[in-house]
Amino acid sequence: MEMIVNTVRMVDYDQVREYSFGDDQSLKEHLAIGILNPEDFNKLNLTPNLNLKLSNENGEVTIKIKQNNNIPIGTIVMPVSIWANQLTGFQDEILIFKNFKINAEATRETVSDIDNFLKAIKK
Amino acid sequence: MVDKRTTCTGCSLLCDDVIVRTDGLYIDEIFGACLKGKEKYDLITSKNRLLTPFIREDGELVKTSIDKALEKAIGIIEKSSKPLLYGFSTVSSQAQLKGIELAKLINGFIDSNSIICQGKVLNASKQTGITLTTISEAINKADLLIFWGANVAESIPRLLNKVLFSRGKFRMTGREIKTIIIIDPVKTASFGVMGVRDIALKVEPGRDIELIRALKEECCTPDSIPSTGVAGIDRDDLKRLLIQLTNTENGIIFIGQGIVGSSNNSEVIQELLELVQMINIRQQKGRMSVMMLGGHYNMVGFEHVALSLLGKNHSLQFSDNKLIETSNTIISKINNDDFDCSIIVGSDPISHLPWKLSKKLASKPIILIDNKKSATLNFADVCVPSAITGIECGGLAYRLDHVPLELEKIINPPNNIFSDEEILSKLYEGLKRG
Repeated sequence: MEMIVNTVRMVDYDQVREYSFGDDQSLKEHLAIGILNPEDFNKLNLTPNLNLKLSNENGEVTIKIKQNNNIPIGTIVMPVSIWANQLTGFQDEILIFKNFKINAEATRETVSDIDNFLKAIKK
Repeated sequence: MVDKRTTCTGCSLLCDDVIVRTDGLYIDEIFGACLKGKEKYDLITSKNRLLTPFIREDGELVKTSIDKALEKAIGIIEKSSKPLLYGFSTVSSQAQLKGIELAKLINGFIDSNSIICQGKVLNASKQTGITLTTISEAINKADLLIFWGANVAESIPRLLNKVLFSRGKFRMTGREIKTIIIIDPVKTASFGVMGVRDIALKVEPGRDIELIRALKEECCTPDSIPSTGVAGIDRDDLKRLLIQLTNTENGIIFIGQGIVGSSNNSEVIQELLELVQMINIRQQKGRMSVMMLGGHYNMVGFEHVALSLLGKNHSLQFSDNKLIETSNTIISKINNDDFDCSIIVGSDPISHLPWKLSKKLASKPIILIDNKKSATLNFADVCVPSAITGIECGGLAYRLDHVPLELEKIINPPNNIFSDEEILSKLYEGLKRG
């Protein structure tokens, strides 16, 4: 299903705090998430045990899902992090990290690990 | 133990009313700081605090002495012909100045995080002009506060306390006469402070520009708003918004990441600044101003230091120890592989940038100066730990409203930990000696 991703900074899902006080596990718990409207949750046939796989021309990432009625339908809100930046891109020297299109699907795959991202960057 | 009034560097608001209880060696308690501010002070003893210099040997980061780390950093820079310097938003203005001097000495390219954030508004204002204001004006005089694409309750937590709930010097009343308008696609935590006469406008994602254009049109031709509304906002709400904009005595638009980070941001920012100018021309009794909400505590500082020193606020390229014109930005420099090493100061670009850019950045040697672990540390060839500015060392920082504030040292930094300014000075002197 085509949706848009909006990356934001939130107190509860803060990258700087996780790097300052957390570890790889807490980074994953607090930053590898997406928040969407319950209506989209149902449309995607998600259940609490499933994760969400997001992909676009820039890359792909698997994240956990939280539901929130305040999120507009068709939008996934992600905290600014290395997870969201698997999907962000740039065009004409402008970084695109708000309102960019992605394809979303329910998956049984586990949430992406930061180690895999770092290995991919190292390659 | 003494109670000391200090300036918090948790965010760009630089609250100067935070009290720390200290014996000069340790900080015992903090009063008046928000969650972000408290976390800044907690960083002193955090398990992820960087306290040891590292260098990369055989692919592994190994602990070393400060002298060896600086020696290796100087070696990397001496071999480089196209060094890139980036970050500089979470350091003092003295360190920013030293960074620019270093870039000049080594003929490098230097930029701050501001270029991908609030610096865009200043760049657009070169064409349109800009009416800025200060936090004191907002506290004492403002009667209309518009948060456009800004979730201040979470990004700059004490801003609402200061500008919305305060009782101004020139007004008998406080919150009662202040109207707030929030324009955002998401009902964020900031919506929680809204009262009955405030206006919540849930604009459809990515359609802010249509809203701005409709307001500009309505300014010139009344009743031009279509009956179906614009960008998901109905006509009556838009008219209420315009009445507020044109009748305010002292209104402020706070520009947040929702505007700055949009894909067509240069157009959106320009149109928004034009709208503000248009309203100010029509205004009979008051004025409308803007305030930019950068996140890092001294993001504005780099703009001021660079402008006052060189007359240019970003993308500074040096050649033959002179500033030269360039159309490059930090994005094009990295994307075109137009660099051969990078010096990253107080930033984590490996996490912040799209991974395709991170990969290119990581492919060349990285010298990292920072006070906490980050994804960038995993790729650094040299890491020099730094003191926490505003706690372990002093300096100057510019608040989000462009007001300079002096940051004071509260406690001594750990042994062999130097300020960003001192580290950059050591690199500068080492390179000058050859």
